[in-house]
Amino acid sequence: MKNKILIICSSFLIATMLSCTDDFNEINTQPDALSTDDISAKFFVTNIQQKLLRPTLIPLWFGDVIQPDQFSGQTANGWAGSDWDGDLGWLYNSTYQDLGCWDWLAGYNSDLTSYMNNVKPGGTLEDEMYYALGLVMKGFYYQQYTEAFGMIPFTEASDPNITLPKYDDQLTIYKGIIADLDEAIAIIGSGTEAGSGFGILRENDVIFGGDMQKWKQLANSLKLRIALRAHDGVGEDFSATAATEAIASGVLADLDAMFEGYADETNIWGGSSSYGDVWHNFAGSQWKTTEALINILKTSDDPRLSKMTKPAVGGTMTITKPVAGQGVALIDTHVAYVKSMLDLSGLILDTDYTWVETATDLTITMPENTNFIGMPSRLSGKLKAYMPDYMFSDPADIITQKTNEGKPLFPTVLMTSADSHFMIAEAIVKGLATGDADTYYQLGLEKAMAIWDTAPTSEFSAANMGSLAGSTDEEKLEKIATQRWLVNYTNGYEGWSIVRDTGYPTACVITSDNNDIVSFGGENNGLQIQRLKYGTGTYSSNGANVNAAVSAQGADNMTTKLWFAK
Amino acid sequence: MLFKNSILILFISLSSILVAQKTVTGNVSSADGPLPGATVAVKASATGTTTDFDGNFSIAVADQDVLVVSYVGFATQEISVADATDFNIMMQADQLLDEVVITALGISREKKSLGYSITEVTGDNVNTIKDNNLASSLTGKVAGLQISSAGSLGSASRITIRGNNSLGGNSQALIVVDGMPINASLPLSNDGNQRETGSNNSGGSASFEPSIAGGGISDINPDDVESISVLKGPAASALYGSRAGNGVILITTKKGSRSDKLGVTLKTNLYVDNPMFLPDFQNQYGQGSLGAANLARSAGSWSSDSWGGKLDGSQQPYYDGSSKAYSAQTNNVEDFFRSGVRNITSLSIDKGSEAGSIRFSYTNNSSESIVQGSDLNSHNFNLRAIANLSDKLTVDTKATYFTQEVLGRASTIGAQGFIGNLYMMPRNVAIDDLRNYQAANPGTPAEFAVISYGDQTGNPFWQSQHDESNVRRNRFLGYAKINYAFTDWLNAFVRVGADVTNVRDRDLKKPGHHFQTTGGLLLQESQFVELNSEFLVTANHKFTDKLDVIANVGGNLSKRSSEGMMLFGSDFKIPTKFFLSNLNLVNAPVESPLAIKKVNSAYGAVNLAYDNFLYLDGSVRNDWSSTLSEDNRSYMYSSFSLSAILNRFIDPEQNFFNLVKVRASIAEVGNDTDVYQLGQTYNVPGQGYLGLTTLSNSPVKLNPDLKPETVTSNEFGLELSMLSNKLTLDVTVYNMETTDLIFDVPVPASTGFLFNRTNIGKVSNKGLEIALGATLMETNNLSWDTSLFYSSNDNKVEELVDGLDTFVYNESSDGNIKVSATVGGSIGDLYGRVLTGETDASGIPLFSGPTEKLGNAQPDFLAGWSNTIRYKDFSMSFLIDARVGGQIYSQTSSSLDIRGVSERSLQYRDGITVSGTNSATGAANNVEISGQDYWTAMGEVSSEYIYDQDNVRLRELSIGYNVPGVEKIGLQSANIQLVGRNLFFFSKSADDIDPETMLGTSIGVQGISQFAMPTLRSMGLNLTLNF
Repeated sequence: MKNKILIICSSFLIATMLSCTDDFNEINTQPDALSTDDISAKFFVTNIQQKLLRPTLIPLWFGDVIQPDQFSGQTANGWAGSDWDGDLGWLYNSTYQDLGCWDWLAGYNSDLTSYMNNVKPGGTLEDEMYYALGLVMKGFYYQQYTEAFGMIPFTEASDPNITLPKYDDQLTIYKGIIADLDEAIAIIGSGTEAGSGFGILRENDVIFGGDMQKWKQLANSLKLRIALRAHDGVGEDFSATAATEAIASGVLADLDAMFEGYADETNIWGGSSSYGDVWHNFAGSQWKTTEALINILKTSDDPRLSKMTKPAVGGTMTITKPVAGQGVALIDTHVAYVKSMLDLSGLILDTDYTWVETATDLTITMPENTNFIGMPSRLSGKLKAYMPDYMFSDPADIITQKTNEGKPLFPTVLMTSADSHFMIAEAIVKGLATGDADTYYQLGLEKAMAIWDTAPTSEFSAANMGSLAGSTDEEKLEKIATQRWLVNYTNGYEGWSIVRDTGYPTACVITSDNNDIVSFGGENNGLQIQRLKYGTGTYSSNGANVNAAVSAQGADNMTTKLWFAK
Repeated sequence: MLFKNSILILFISLSSILVAQKTVTGNVSSADGPLPGATVAVKASATGTTTDFDGNFSIAVADQDVLVVSYVGFATQEISVADATDFNIMMQADQLLDEVVITALGISREKKSLGYSITEVTGDNVNTIKDNNLASSLTGKVAGLQISSAGSLGSASRITIRGNNSLGGNSQALIVVDGMPINASLPLSNDGNQRETGSNNSGGSASFEPSIAGGGISDINPDDVESISVLKGPAASALYGSRAGNGVILITTKKGSRSDKLGVTLKTNLYVDNPMFLPDFQNQYGQGSLGAANLARSAGSWSSDSWGGKLDGSQQPYYDGSSKAYSAQTNNVEDFFRSGVRNITSLSIDKGSEAGSIRFSYTNNSSESIVQGSDLNSHNFNLRAIANLSDKLTVDTKATYFTQEVLGRASTIGAQGFIGNLYMMPRNVAIDDLRNYQAANPGTPAEFAVISYGDQTGNPFWQSQHDESNVRRNRFLGYAKINYAFTDWLNAFVRVGADVTNVRDRDLKKPGHHFQTTGGLLLQESQFVELNSEFLVTANHKFTDKLDVIANVGGNLSKRSSEGMMLFGSDFKIPTKFFLSNLNLVNAPVESPLAIKKVNSAYGAVNLAYDNFLYLDGSVRNDWSSTLSEDNRSYMYSSFSLSAILNRFIDPEQNFFNLVKVRASIAEVGNDTDVYQLGQTYNVPGQGYLGLTTLSNSPVKLNPDLKPETVTSNEFGLELSMLSNKLTLDVTVYNMETTDLIFDVPVPASTGFLFNRTNIGKVSNKGLEIALGATLMETNNLSWDTSLFYSSNDNKVEELVDGLDTFVYNESSDGNIKVSATVGGSIGDLYGRVLTGETDASGIPLFSGPTEKLGNAQPDFLAGWSNTIRYKDFSMSFLIDARVGGQIYSQTSSSLDIRGVSERSLQYRDGITVSGTNSATGAANNVEISGQDYWTAMGEVSSEYIYDQDNVRLRELSIGYNVPGVEKIGLQSANIQLVGRNLFFFSKSADDIDPETMLGTSIGVQGISQFAMPTLRSMGLNLTLNF
């Protein structure tokens, strides 16, 4: 017995000591992950497109919806009954800005850089066409990123070994984007497809189905956009050449670079979201179309009005006047403001609506689903009770269409052929290119209307906005900027850049001198929103470099003007 | 001692009897009275006797003889006979000298021989006043042990010993039950990516969700606990290797007694739980905004704040569309809660003989939450059988089956949780009105929509009954141990054990949820298995009279695995039934395939005892972990400790000191990592895009050269026992350092990664622990024992990595607080906003970014004071404990102020001109703002809501009575106790919140409190019957 036990014990001992690390490598290999042998670059293309153009709910909601879309003057919040006051987003909130903007944009670089490092010369999935496509995506990414924040890491980014990259000024970044685009254009040359065999791109490129010539045109359009944005910036010397080269090489002329939403997929919480997911799942967060957008479309008889927005639900809306509290002293101011808002939208009293004011309340009655009325931006929360939901125009259904219902969704606008034509017109007016600006302007209008399944009407063509003919250069630039702003509807980042770059549409330069009506926006003290603040986390992770950027660029607040801003 | 005594008796009985010169008599007694059965022997002879029932003895001796009087549990005395003939010998309790404690690997050791700190808590201490989580019952009882809970019924705790050692948040103690490390059974995270295989995470999941289910220690039935040893430093826990870097809680469960009499114990505990306290609410202003009650709801802008007008009883529009008196509902929050009744009944049966023993116990726990619709039910079956198959061979087996359902637990998280919606309810809303939370016969989706006091606001009743999490856990714990005593000096055992846990979560949001309007269902199933096979050979040899050596050699094969599946879907087709196939949208299921981690270990320990005063221990352990690369997977560490008992030199007569012991130890342990941390791979997201497969790189740059973390520790201690052991003192100072911390260093995304996983940095914990015990009174009828402990810990982040000074674990959901680790600071530093002294143009105060250091989540020191007073058949014990220092951010208070429901928000209702510079004018601010604007702004200024965690509370109180005379009705004994827990605070710094209730158990949410369930005051009755 004793011996048996001894034998058992000592064999156990020996087994423990010697054994059994044989399977360690095997069990520590993840069964549900892929190695380099299993993969192709095409799968990453879909990823880098989707992560930038249809990101998750958070960047869409906390970012686009709450911030750039509002700052662009295209959407507004704060109707009575909304979860938010009108100054949501206009008041700095670190959570919304960090999660919705900085963390998302800064974080996107990990997807982009890992893609680029995979496909670059010497990478595990080396392929020059894929690399060229990546350079174009990189250009769009940096344009959006720098125009939101200003100085950001560029020259020292994308290097896995530099963990504390310095921040570059916008001039350097714009030059760098153009150099990248030039490289992409040169690589693509006359090539048509990326990859081969199993690795052929085709449908994994959601934007152009793998057509590399379209990517070349897209690169040229972006190059032209950068040239125009940088034009007249302090120290820039490249915009004329870049604009000329881009136009000569061929911008995106007929097809739009749009990124399709998913109508049939099944998950709103997953990797991708559309406006409808915010709109329908968080009803209190619904936004309205702005006074600026509606009135611009209305004054030009623009046929897109009923395509891009919906008439106000209307009906009888009763606003009870407060009998106590702070609201009492402001009743007259607020009532007068509501009246002026209706006047500004072109509605005629007793024709388009009736107005009955008594000592206790105000009743506005208008026909249902008839009037287009935009909501003013940046309203003070004190006015909220005077802003009935049904008085304002919602965005068109296609924009707020919920996913998963099999109905079409408005795609994400990356670059349009309309914008390309407007930009050529702008380049001509600015003297960076030659030709007839109005011809390109008219072409642009056709393309822009086509996006909304319509075409310039005679009323539109007759309106001031219908043609550049007879306008001064400044008026031409205003019209072009306004149309570029309109064609970038739902692309708040680009719309906001246009406003800051050109100062047009003037109604979108939103400032305040009366906090009882239009919010000062807290520390922004009524000034126009010029940029977003750096992510709070970057001060701890790359403090020295971000502080150097702040001292070069100006205080890290939302009113510091960026290099390209007017 | 027992062993020695038997030898002595044996010796006596075999010896011839010496010639006696005279016969002396005497009496042996202790403080409690006569000691029957004490041994009285003549030194260096074979003569001896034992005392009779009254403690009397007589023995034949010579004048030059020396009497040796001994009795288990008392200090042996030597008395010269000389010319005395009658002896009155008072024995002094010797509990300390011979106290036996359970140490690592379950080895019993005399406490005096240990060179490191260990605290033992008896079973009575944790099962008298039961909490559903055993960990809570350790609070305030062990120096150096910190327990933070997450709140709701069935939730987990965070258990740390001597501070946070690891940056990655895995600083929790290992739980070992009867020698078997138990898995904390972490559920898979919502992204399905979490793969934990037997981490040290003892308290349960390291989750952000405060209502997270327990696991680990919460699955242990307090009634089965014999004792709990807390192995505090690496020196004590070194034999457990890489899992024990954060200390070990060693639980020993009950065995059957050796008595051949059938022992039956029936215990019933009946508790009633109620909120201990609630925030202070204001009762002067009602629902509305800008100083006025809401206007008719149909007009739209319906504020759910309490910034309305004075509650004057006037008729005002009410949220349900009616008009109602605008009056304060002072108890509307309190009335939401019911009394939670907990009924814990256990039955144990045990019997034994020379051939072995058996014990079976069954415990049923049926607990109601204070929230209607939420319950916890568990059944625990435990069978322990020990068979002495021969005088050398013993088989010890145990099987425990535990099944628990935690049903209907609503999410408390954040402002979307029901506690938030309850506390922020306008002050004029009657709670009973909210019971009407949905249209009577809902048909359309709109009719399903929840009805509440605000727009898109949850209704606490709806939420507590329709937004529910159900967790079912089934756990089997068992082992078989074969012990063989080869000789009286050589013993060996082999043990094979298993811990198998199945967890099924079902989280349901029914249609009508205020955000997820069409409802959703999350199903998760996870299985965790841990198998351990081990052996230990123990040799005990006395080399000379003075040198005793115990040597242990052992080995362990540990295999831990996990696997699981998760399904999520939304949008119920038919909105009245809730199952998977009734969902319109179901996401691709997420599978976590079987993940296995193996650790092989070999270890040995040698204990040298010299002349009963000098003890030297050494241990060495080598682990081979499958989670590390071939080059790094084998790692060895060792520990040494020394203790010296000096009283024989200082006070040989024990006039004052009964024990003077000094001890010192140095130790090192490693800490490995989880599976799949070495090789870079690509993940296929379940969803893809537009039907296309998409791939992305891992955001973490993995590191094939990952090394184990190293925890080193030095510890010094002094133990004193004085005044016939009536006063004891145990002081420990320690210094622990963790280096090569496995850490995901955040890197800019521009590198292509978000984190680099690598070994970096150094974290130190220095601390002082003092335990003081005293017998304040001791007579036949009355005794009073008291003990006091104090422990402080100073945690410091010595270094991270070049270019990284601060690591942010987490940001509070309102963005106002960041929980960080900063070089030169500590883990859990809280950074937040402060007022800048300026206002904006409209007179609203401006504040900084969340970048100013406001405090730290770790307390400076903990203290506890336990008392047990016995008078005849009555006993009373109470525990007062204190947590001092450390800060907590009350997001609760901030939210209550913003919504105008707190008592604080009564200030400045009539307006305030904030002093400071108006940033628009540059001059002193002269713009008056409303109280609403003021508090809305101040709610963001986190420095205003940072509270010290300081609090002193009456944690436990019990009053018991041993019912006399129960023998007549066939009982051995009967005991009845009135018990109470969390009775009141002597002092508390924080408003609104319990500073010990954190948002969750992970490191990143320590120091944040947000709408936790109220701390419960439990009062109840225990009835124990022994048959």
